Amino acid sequence: METAINIAYACKLISNEMKQFIISSETDVIREVEERGDQVELARVMKEEVKKELKKCLEEAQQYFNTLSGPKLALVIDGKCLMYALDPSLRVMLLNLSLNCNSVVCCRVSPLQKAQVTTLVKKGARKITLSIGDGANDVSMIQAAHVGVGISGLEGMQAVMASDFAIAQFRFLSDLLLVHGRWSYLRICKVVTYFFYKNLTFTLTQFWFTFQTGFSGQRFYDDWFQSLYNVMFTSLPVIIYGLLEKDVSASLSKKYPQLYMEGIRNSFFKWRVVAMWAFSAIYQSLIFYYFVTDSTSTGQNSSGKMFGLWDVSTVAFTCVVVTVNLRLLMMCNSMTRWHYISVGGSVLAWFVFVFVYSLIRENVLYVIYVIMSTFYFYLSFLLVPTVALLLDFIHQGIQRWFFPYDYQVVQEIHRNEPDGYLRAGGLEISNHLTPDEARSFAISQLPRETSKHTGFAFDSPGYESFFAAQQGVYVPQKAWDVVRRASMRSKAKAPLPPKR
Amino acid sequence: MADRGGTGSGGGGGQGALETAKKSRKPKYSRFSQQELPACKPILTPGWVITTFISIGVVFIPIGLASLFASQRVTEIVYQYDSDCIPPEFSDDSVEFIKSDKTNKTCTRTITVPKQMKSPIYVYYQLNNFYQNHRRYVKSRDDKQLWRKEDETSSQECKPEDFTANGQPIVPCGLIAWSLFNDTYKFRVNDKVLEVNKKNIAWSSDRDHKFGSDVYPKNFQSGTLIGGGKLNSSIPLNQQEDLIVWMRPAALPTFRKLYGKIETDLEANDKINIVIENNYNTYSFGGKKKLVLSTTSWMGGKNDFLGLAYLTVGGLCLFLAISFILVYVLKPRPLGDPSYLSWNRNAAGILN
Repeated sequence: METAINIAYACKLISNEMKQFIISSETDVIREVEERGDQVELARVMKEEVKKELKKCLEEAQQYFNTLSGPKLALVIDGKCLMYALDPSLRVMLLNLSLNCNSVVCCRVSPLQKAQVTTLVKKGARKITLSIGDGANDVSMIQAAHVGVGISGLEGMQAVMASDFAIAQFRFLSDLLLVHGRWSYLRICKVVTYFFYKNLTFTLTQFWFTFQTGFSGQRFYDDWFQSLYNVMFTSLPVIIYGLLEKDVSASLSKKYPQLYMEGIRNSFFKWRVVAMWAFSAIYQSLIFYYFVTDSTSTGQNSSGKMFGLWDVSTVAFTCVVVTVNLRLLMMCNSMTRWHYISVGGSVLAWFVFVFVYSLIRENVLYVIYVIMSTFYFYLSFLLVPTVALLLDFIHQGIQRWFFPYDYQVVQEIHRNEPDGYLRAGGLEISNHLTPDEARSFAISQLPRETSKHTGFAFDSPGYESFFAAQQGVYVPQKAWDVVRRASMRSKAKAPLPPKR
Repeated sequence: MADRGGTGSGGGGGQGALETAKKSRKPKYSRFSQQELPACKPILTPGWVITTFISIGVVFIPIGLASLFASQRVTEIVYQYDSDCIPPEFSDDSVEFIKSDKTNKTCTRTITVPKQMKSPIYVYYQLNNFYQNHRRYVKSRDDKQLWRKEDETSSQECKPEDFTANGQPIVPCGLIAWSLFNDTYKFRVNDKVLEVNKKNIAWSSDRDHKFGSDVYPKNFQSGTLIGGGKLNSSIPLNQQEDLIVWMRPAALPTFRKLYGKIETDLEANDKINIVIENNYNTYSFGGKKKLVLSTTSWMGGKNDFLGLAYLTVGGLCLFLAISFILVYVLKPRPLGDPSYLSWNRNAAGILN
């Protein structure tokens, strides 16, 4: 128990200001009964004791909770008491008490109890639980929680194999949650809503057409245009977006952990957000359809010739593809060159495709050449996407200014700083170290071995330059190091591989 | 302690066992996989918003003015003649009139030119409520047959206008060709006949690549049900411009198609005498027929829509620019002010 509490202090789970509730099985009462040896009585007494303790702690906790500025609470409970506390009759009290505490430390628990505690919180409190562990005894706990994180390393790979996420060191957990978890949430929300938006726009434009075909079901676009819309002309940008989008950089994500609340509050996937995208899609589809069909009702160029169905739909389709791709750029928070390549490439792919296709396919033969020979096409190509995106632009401008999301404020606060990983700042150690720094860095990576020599005091650089040479890291030798090695009694052995 | 590429969570199995062979299990570093690509991080500040609106306004308004001006210079005369051209004795029974062979379909009318019209003046026929974009109608054609003589056999899509009663292929097959528009117009002004040039009224891509020069009409309109005009079977399809124009299906149920060009000027207040052959049956389905005479500009026919749209959008953007400036001045917010973070705004209660 004391070890557990000390470790908790070291991890900063418990601090001196916190009020600790300790439910231990090593009280005098219980020891007395244990000495007597009667198992049945022991069980009963322990259960009574645990119940009493829980009640007492719970009442005290309620009191603290009612006063707003009370100290934080911590609960320490050991395995034996936990066995009785997880009993169905006492479970609810345990849960209530634990949820009121800032930290709960359970020591000497068996793997089954770990899983039971996790399940208790998961089902009882209905919150999302994450459990992290590195050994085989953590496997059941990892599997019981919503998100299981396994640490690979010293204790083997069992935890890793049972987990949803595997990391190499415990300290990567903060990165996993605050950086990658957050980015993942943002990316998934945006990708899903964008995907529905782009298909909705495309389909609704056709939908408005059905009212004017006598409801016969004539397609507005050519079949291949429709089939390849999602495959060739609008797919790559959103993939790149989902891979690379970052609202704030990694270091800022860790600096402002409160940004994680956006995920907890589900700010990017509420019904309101979805409705806004849907409304934008409806508006844009109306623009595409009516602007294009209304402006083609009379002769199209100075030769007075008229556009047919396929000409009009090709103009509309071009506008849809361009608008939908530009809309993606509008929603990017960080634009890499892959964004430009994929968006530009998609629009280019459309033009290349339609140039080639309209030479082959009979019903749309030469359509693109016909429409590109008129001034009308270029005028509507400029007008229609601009009008379609105008509403979104206005919405973004207003939202960003008057109702900013937290990450937007953080972006603005740090707008003038270079990216955390750029060489210019040198904020993190990257490949550009001074030679001295490189040397000490290389040395610090060496395994710490007890020396095979006896009778000598160890001067750090010299000792390490020897092992550094063994590892192939260049470290210049000191003069006395040469002397020292000349006087070695036994030949130095190669260092053993370190246990990690 | 050095933070080795600190974003590498889950990247390879840890620091790796450092044996004498120095094998590290860290994955190969690439900027793409570690998501450290250099990126542009645009922030939509008020400056950018206002700049964008102003530039849109500044670009669009002149374009709108130019388009609108061009469209206003076009003179257009629209004359609806379908109800006019039914003789009074058939006014209740126009369908009977149009279907009968014995009635006289010629109809003479006069229209006045409102403004001077410079040549070439384009003659269109406009149909209302005629669904050339109906699904069954649009697919009722055979493009292969139109292009090559060898592909004469009509396709399934052309039913029922694919084969004659005795199994002969109909060229061109299908409902689109069968319903060919066959009203004709002749113009006279001041007792001078105005020549209507019917060459080059179809898109050249159609004439050169869609309709063959060795394909001739065969068995066309030979059945009992006549849908429209007849074709001269000694002229190849790529010279039958009326057919080519008709066979480009229109997008909307109200559409115009080019009939021909008049290559003389018309002065204001000229009286044009039109002789119409009112052959085409739009009476069975409540359609309307109109005759349109129009000049064109660099933009095309008379269509104020684009010009008005550009002007509206340009004006709206300038208005928005001004209103945004006002709003930013009246309700300013310093850029990057930490007091706008939600956890700083809600002083009490961090976890809600």
